[in-house]
Amino acid sequence: MSREEIFEKLSSVLQESFEIKSDAIRPDARLREDLDLDSIDAVDLMVQFRPIVGKKLQPEVFKSVKTVDDVVNAMHDLMNSN
Amino acid sequence: MSRMLDHIWRVCATGFSFAVFGIGGLILGMVIFPLLSLGIRETREKNRLARLAIHHSFRFFIGLMRLLGLLSYDISGIERLNRRGLLILANHPTLIDVVFLISLVPNANCIVKSDLAHNPFTRGQVRATGYICNDTGVELVNDCVAALRSGDNLIIFPEGTRTPVDGKIVLKRGSAHVAINGMRPITPVRISCKPRSLTKGLPWWQIPPTSVHFTISVQEDILVNKFSEKDNPVLASRRLTEYLESYFRLSKA
Repeated sequence: MSREEIFEKLSSVLQESFEIKSDAIRPDARLREDLDLDSIDAVDLMVQFRPIVGKKLQPEVFKSVKTVDDVVNAMHDLMNSN
Repeated sequence: MSRMLDHIWRVCATGFSFAVFGIGGLILGMVIFPLLSLGIRETREKNRLARLAIHHSFRFFIGLMRLLGLLSYDISGIERLNRRGLLILANHPTLIDVVFLISLVPNANCIVKSDLAHNPFTRGQVRATGYICNDTGVELVNDCVAALRSGDNLIIFPEGTRTPVDGKIVLKRGSAHVAINGMRPITPVRISCKPRSLTKGLPWWQIPPTSVHFTISVQEDILVNKFSEKDNPVLASRRLTEYLESYFRLSKA
């Protein structure tokens, strides 16, 4: 899966499950400040992404991410880590 | 002249009250609770007794402040607190809201900063009472749900900190996550303090022009089913938080 595809998937999950408006979901949008996601939301996001990434996501991955782009990169690294 | 005397009296009495509070806390944490831990091995029984000791200490403290002429209060709906496994959510105008609430709830659990578990002055209390000691995240929500299921009455101030003076009530979503994930009704408590006193950022000796009056009202439970049936947990927590914000904002009137 390319970075663009991951971004599209993330964007659709954020719109559907979190009711975040599509124009707010930009690569540089900050999860906490701009998108109003808290740590519980991040865990929920991970649960939704588990089948897509195909492996269990560690909560630690999300402690270091700040922006949408960081999430895309973390997912991308994880999927290509084997 | 009598107004000035009254003012001087209340400054002294406030200082005295705070000193009593501090010394009482030290005695509980450094003498009584360590003895309790030696005498009672079973954790839940130890927690129950430690919480009961804090409940009575806080009742004494509120009584002391009342006796000294610093405050008066009206409490309504107190019979609603006479149940187990309650998720008690309150607005947070003053420094002593938690003292009031714990003085009304014998087996109260609450969330404390994890720093307090390491601070030598507060470690004894945190350990003996088994208060939830966690700062953020999923583990905190899980701990809260587990405490409620075990029958504890959990007190949370969803604002996370005292309401800013003339500020709007803004809630964090954590307590809504607890209610939604744990499928627990909410027992809301509205607290008002007039004139405003012991607010955030105010040193204790800057006391209000008159003694303060607290109105504490334990309201009817808020059922969360209507939120969790309609939406996924993420959205249900958001909707519930919005609902609670408007609920507590109305109580300012």
